[in-house]
Amino acid sequence: MSALNTSLFKARTPVGLAIMVCAFALLALSGVAFGSSWIPMDQVASVILGAGEKTQRLIVLQLRLPRVVIAALAGGGMAVAGYLLQKVTRNALASPSVLGVIDGAALGVVLFLALLSNESNTLIIPIGYQPLAALAGAVLGITLVFLLSGRQSSSAVRLLLFGIAMAAVFKAMVMVLILIGPIYRASQASRWLAGSVNEINWSEIQITLVMLVPLLVMAVLAARKMPPADLDEVSARSIGLNLPVFRIVIFALAAGLTAVSVAFVGGVGFIGLMAPHLARLMVGRNVYAGLLGSFLLGAIMLVGADLIVRVLFSPVEVPAGTVTAVIGAPYFLFLLMSRQRHDG
Amino acid sequence: MTDSPAIVIDALSLGYGSTSVLDTLSLSIPRGKITVLAGPNGCGKSTLLRAIRRLHKPSDGRILLETTDIAKLGERMLARQIGLLAQSPSAPDDMTVEELVRLGRYPHQSMLQPWSPDDTRAFEAAMAGTGVAHLRHRHLGSLSGGQLQRVWIAMVLAQETEIVCLDEPVNHLDMSHQLDCLDLVRQLNSAFGRTIVLVLHDLNLAARYADQLVFLRDGAVAATGKPEELMTQELIARVFDVDAMIITDPAYGRPLCIPLNTRERVIGA
Repeated sequence: MSALNTSLFKARTPVGLAIMVCAFALLALSGVAFGSSWIPMDQVASVILGAGEKTQRLIVLQLRLPRVVIAALAGGGMAVAGYLLQKVTRNALASPSVLGVIDGAALGVVLFLALLSNESNTLIIPIGYQPLAALAGAVLGITLVFLLSGRQSSSAVRLLLFGIAMAAVFKAMVMVLILIGPIYRASQASRWLAGSVNEINWSEIQITLVMLVPLLVMAVLAARKMPPADLDEVSARSIGLNLPVFRIVIFALAAGLTAVSVAFVGGVGFIGLMAPHLARLMVGRNVYAGLLGSFLLGAIMLVGADLIVRVLFSPVEVPAGTVTAVIGAPYFLFLLMSRQRHDG
Repeated sequence: MTDSPAIVIDALSLGYGSTSVLDTLSLSIPRGKITVLAGPNGCGKSTLLRAIRRLHKPSDGRILLETTDIAKLGERMLARQIGLLAQSPSAPDDMTVEELVRLGRYPHQSMLQPWSPDDTRAFEAAMAGTGVAHLRHRHLGSLSGGQLQRVWIAMVLAQETEIVCLDEPVNHLDMSHQLDCLDLVRQLNSAFGRTIVLVLHDLNLAARYADQLVFLRDGAVAATGKPEELMTQELIARVFDVDAMIITDPAYGRPLCIPLNTRERVIGA
């Protein structure tokens, strides 16, 4: 199918992708350069290439670079998940947050903080296990959505409705747990819930990569089968795409990508909605370009959001998720209001 | 070979939940001919058409393609043998005609078998054969209803399946485009040698275009044969619950059904 798509590459596709790559490179370098002390871009580049003096190497490689890398991976992963969902549901409003994945992860984190504290309210196991709890919650969330929707899970709309309903249930449980728990736990939990990329180390990035890369490869492999998903169900099936099965595979893939992405950085909202939608506007219908464009835009958004909170609110650490939410919520409303008859 | 049926439907039963739609239905679809399925609402004609394309799973019985049970065919393999134009197909408005028609080649491709010269040939033949080549770069959203239907037929044609199923293809079209569309379907049959299975609501259009006409009622075949054999007052009364007068149309010599309204029934009686 690749040739079929390649031949349809529009002029805007390479231009759009080139713009994204440049913007990403610029933002990533700025993300490393900015901080409590300014490190000039050329020195950032030389450190990354293996040179530079010792303190600069420490700041760049151990403090700032991990933060940028995790932001890029998590933002990109969520955006790819959103792209897959929007494509397979033919709905620009679909995103990982409506599948119950992010709220499932949130519940995992809050339960972790609530259950594994002793009487004096200190955690009995290291906080480092918190991402595992997020992952478990995310997987539990999507599994429940699939189990409850049962035979209806092959219908995109039904599955989304179950996802939204479960997300609401998880949200309510998170709220209750926070309200009845001690006050400091609320602040602990709310950091994750809002989504922030600070205090990330390289081993966490390694874990993320090990899980994210296979999922991304699977997404690219699935992309080959994807073009008929632009059509109605009967037409897609009659040209040979087993849509009911394919849809479940894609939903599972999107859930996995989201779970891995939010495990360390927390519930960053709206990237999975905005990035794929913008990517399709910029690069067109081609699935491979769409996947790459979504990843790049998602990475740009989270790296950019993190940069904004650091520049605006320094030295206070504000979660990057607050920025994506402030921009994303109006974007969502705009999408809702501007929806046309046939929204592909 | 031309005498062996393209499809044999053998004691097919199918239902949604506890409602039975098709009940031990048997039927042969002749190769290289136009078969029209007709019948009152809810008789199961669309369901039968979809079952032939394996979009519904039968509860019992089987559908044979040559001698192969379609249940045993792979997804792409089946899509290379049977094409289906949905009753109300939809694609994004900003998709171009070319993009849509190219999708018809989907079942012929794989990871190891990307777009080939053969695909280009089939694609161009479909575009030319349906007369939509000049629309190539137009967006679907900018086409008229008649043009759009031609483009969808082009997609099904590009699929190069021996059997083409069409589910009420003229439903939303005005009279001139209805004839236009069905002439095109007949051309698929005569010029491209496709076996056509068509669901039509309009009995007179059915009689005009069918080689074999099939009347369905209550999920079973009520009668099957040439239009001249089936278009009789008794059969139409039995299948459609309508008193009708059958005449031979003076232009084409096909049977023409004139339904009688209640008042005329009274007068006739």
